[in-house]
Amino acid sequence: MSSVTVLRQPVASAWRRIPGAWRQPLTVVGLVVVAAWLLVALLAPWLAPHDPLAQGSNLYQAPSATHLLGTDELGRDVFSRVLWGARISIPLAMLLVVLAFLIGGTLGGLAGYLGGWVDELVMRGADFVFAVPTILLAMAVVAALGPGLFHAVLAVVLVSWPGHARVVRGLVRTIMQSEYVAVGRLLGSPTHRALAVDVLPNIAGPVSVLAALETGNAILLLSALSFLGLGARPPDPEWGSMVSTGAQHFEAWWIGVFPGIAIVSIVLAFNFLGDSLRDAFDPKTIIKARGA
Amino acid sequence: MTPLLSVRDLHVWLDTARGPLSIVDGVSFDVGEGQVFGLAGESGSGKTITALALLGLLPAGARTGGVAIMAGRDLLAMRTSERRRTRGREIAMVFQDPTSSLHPMLTIERQLTEHLRYQLGLSGKEAHLRAVALLTEVRMPDPEAAMRGYPHQFSGGMRQRIQIAIGLACEPRLLIADEPTTALDVTVQAGILRLLRRLCKEKNLAVILITHDLGVLSALADSITVMYAGRVAESGPTSQVMGHARHPYTRGLIDALPHPEAPDRVLIPIAGDPASPESRPSGCAFHPRCRYSRPSCQIAIPPLIPIDDGREMACPVDPFMASVAR
Amino acid sequence: MFLCLGVSVMAFVLTTVVPGDPAVANLGDRASSDPTAVRLYREHFGLDKPLPVQYFVYLGNLLHGDLGESEQSRRAVRIDLAEYIPATAELAITSMVLALLLGVTLGVIAALRRNRLTDQVIRVVSLGGMSTPQFWLALVALYVFFYKLNWVPGAGRLDAIVLPPPHVTGLFSIDALAAGQLDVFLNTVQHLILPACVLAAFNMGLFTRFTRSAVLEVLENDYVRTARAKGLPEVTVVFRHVLRAASPPIVTVVGLAFGNVMTGTVLVENIFSWPGIGQYSYRSATGLDLTAIVGVMLFVAIVYILVNMVVDILYAVIDPRVGLA
Repeated sequence: MSSVTVLRQPVASAWRRIPGAWRQPLTVVGLVVVAAWLLVALLAPWLAPHDPLAQGSNLYQAPSATHLLGTDELGRDVFSRVLWGARISIPLAMLLVVLAFLIGGTLGGLAGYLGGWVDELVMRGADFVFAVPTILLAMAVVAALGPGLFHAVLAVVLVSWPGHARVVRGLVRTIMQSEYVAVGRLLGSPTHRALAVDVLPNIAGPVSVLAALETGNAILLLSALSFLGLGARPPDPEWGSMVSTGAQHFEAWWIGVFPGIAIVSIVLAFNFLGDSLRDAFDPKTIIKARGA
Repeated sequence: MTPLLSVRDLHVWLDTARGPLSIVDGVSFDVGEGQVFGLAGESGSGKTITALALLGLLPAGARTGGVAIMAGRDLLAMRTSERRRTRGREIAMVFQDPTSSLHPMLTIERQLTEHLRYQLGLSGKEAHLRAVALLTEVRMPDPEAAMRGYPHQFSGGMRQRIQIAIGLACEPRLLIADEPTTALDVTVQAGILRLLRRLCKEKNLAVILITHDLGVLSALADSITVMYAGRVAESGPTSQVMGHARHPYTRGLIDALPHPEAPDRVLIPIAGDPASPESRPSGCAFHPRCRYSRPSCQIAIPPLIPIDDGREMACPVDPFMASVAR
Repeated sequence: MFLCLGVSVMAFVLTTVVPGDPAVANLGDRASSDPTAVRLYREHFGLDKPLPVQYFVYLGNLLHGDLGESEQSRRAVRIDLAEYIPATAELAITSMVLALLLGVTLGVIAALRRNRLTDQVIRVVSLGGMSTPQFWLALVALYVFFYKLNWVPGAGRLDAIVLPPPHVTGLFSIDALAAGQLDVFLNTVQHLILPACVLAAFNMGLFTRFTRSAVLEVLENDYVRTARAKGLPEVTVVFRHVLRAASPPIVTVVGLAFGNVMTGTVLVENIFSWPGIGQYSYRSATGLDLTAIVGVMLFVAIVYILVNMVVDILYAVIDPRVGLA
């Protein structure tokens, strides 16, 4: 039985190190900012002083008391639009991380468990996605399906499943090759039971790290597609397309700068969380799986 | 004659989350020129930390106390730059595991010559010639070919010879060898020990030989200091310490050794586990494992007292006398 | 090889599910008014043949290095690419060098100052680089350094009045130096510096994080203590012994980071009007010019494979324990 304790120990101690991660000031900052944005996304209709789509007569107004972050080229309140933007980017990013994990996790789990040609096929597919830059592939998908936020989400899912697949496959394989599963098999305990007992709890750590980092990345990629006009369409208050509008009105810098700051703050917060969680867990599996 | 190195009341503390932890607690010894000085004890007794303290290579968060005088200068009080010049040129160190102690991606030539060039200012050609001479000196077959090789291409014994050559490169006066034979096959061990002995004689090199194996010391060392839990248990000339051990711990170590002339003798292990710095027993740290322990041993730390025959011992109970009386 | 085939199949499949009709997209109003033009257009591009035939024709052409004809520029994609690649190469290489120099330096410092204030500051800077949308950073940089401060010229590879240097490599900076045109070289550098820095931000962060963890791992090793015991100065210990041992994982990330650069060029080139393949692929995507997109994807995949082959070779050069297979 000693091999069981030997294998399980690192996982248990990694979990125990999480409280240490909370002592890091940046972790706390990340958590607070993420929580604040989640609240904003929930409460935007009540927090926003103006209708994000309502056009006014005050065009290009610099930040002031009535319009905290100024108004845009159609007289819309930038502050309200930035708050409403959270309702688009954050739920979409979370949805697509869940989708990417379901797809990637299933494929990776099957690849690791079955091995053979399934493994080969899934991993070559993942290699292929890695070989083509994310935005190029996403652009091709959007070009094929037509622009639109939903298509952009599909495109991002398509380029982000391999990371999840690699993490899950790696964990499944590590556990299947471990001595104590071999011992269990000799004693008549089926492999899938070991997987259920050990993979699932083991997966929680790396996947939570990956999820934090990937949510940040997803927000970046979604906003980039929207910036290029391939995602959200006007007049949706999407952060990326708001920056794109700002790019056409240089003199009114507030139109583009504030949505960008919104993106930086939420992505940075997710990265703070992911980075300190990664320090707590085994750093290598996740770093390698994330790749580009 | 003044000794080459004179360590007095050496202390090492390690800062931890729960406050400073005493690793080495008042250790004193002398090393004479051209002598082999044995530092013995189980793992965790503080012998390696003692050596690292002399070189200033302690991990971050460690503090030292006491003095270590070598050639009129205190090794512990040196500034960083001065200490760096001491390393390699005055004191060199050979580490336990030659596999992990050599850089896996640099050629032997690089590892043998870089400090020759930096410390002694030799040119590339001079350093190369000196390196070949060094490898010849440590009985390395085909030194020229070895220079172009990488550590993974050599056996453990050969790697240890390379490490010794690296240590000797800048002609230090003191070589610290930390368990130099522990990671090696028994057949190879003797060769390395013979090499150390020879170098010591030919170059008038002083050696601090750190080991848990008293058997190694009995053949090689001029004098021995036995450490337990960061303190000196017993020290003196090898013949005295090995022949007539007075401290219960030294005796225990000797009784646990196989004896070539009496192979059938029953080996007596020391009961219990070595004391770790985190949970050091009160009083004499050895008392929970000691056959001769008295109630007073749990309270007072026994001082190191000189005995008439030129050695020192830290035990109020004299097992030598006790065993005679029994 | 497998990857190239995969890309070609994948890209080709994409074309079959396009709801948008490229003929309509590129002929515009003429498509509805002039059916003959549509038919001619389709025949010209082989769009009237069955799909598998289209694919094999396409694959056959690929083997001859023929990537097909762009539906927008009406030129061979290969010629288009040849025109745009040097601009992207110059930008990408410059940004990679910048990111590597900065990232490795910061990563080493962070590792040596582990958990102190310096480490935390570097952590914020590097994660900041990885969290900032490149399109936004590009705009802010343009706003500050071009619009407000006027320190750098705006868009493009050269000022409008400066003639490009004689074509040798297509990299203006190198060509200008080779031709001895110092003024052209300086102008190139002025144009290059801002987009390259923006493009470097993400990878700088990535390299910093990786270097830090790689160096921390190496510092644990006994041979670092050996190097110190030899009395080598700390600089030599860190740069010769530690960094050498830490370089294999760093080299691996450099290979992977190539993908990030390509993603970044699409955005950065659009904002800085940089005439490279990033801009080209964006124009092709919005014009539903799939032949061109497929060409870019294939080219990028090939470069990715080459880069990672170089990484494997570097591995063997760095670490003598790795044999060249």
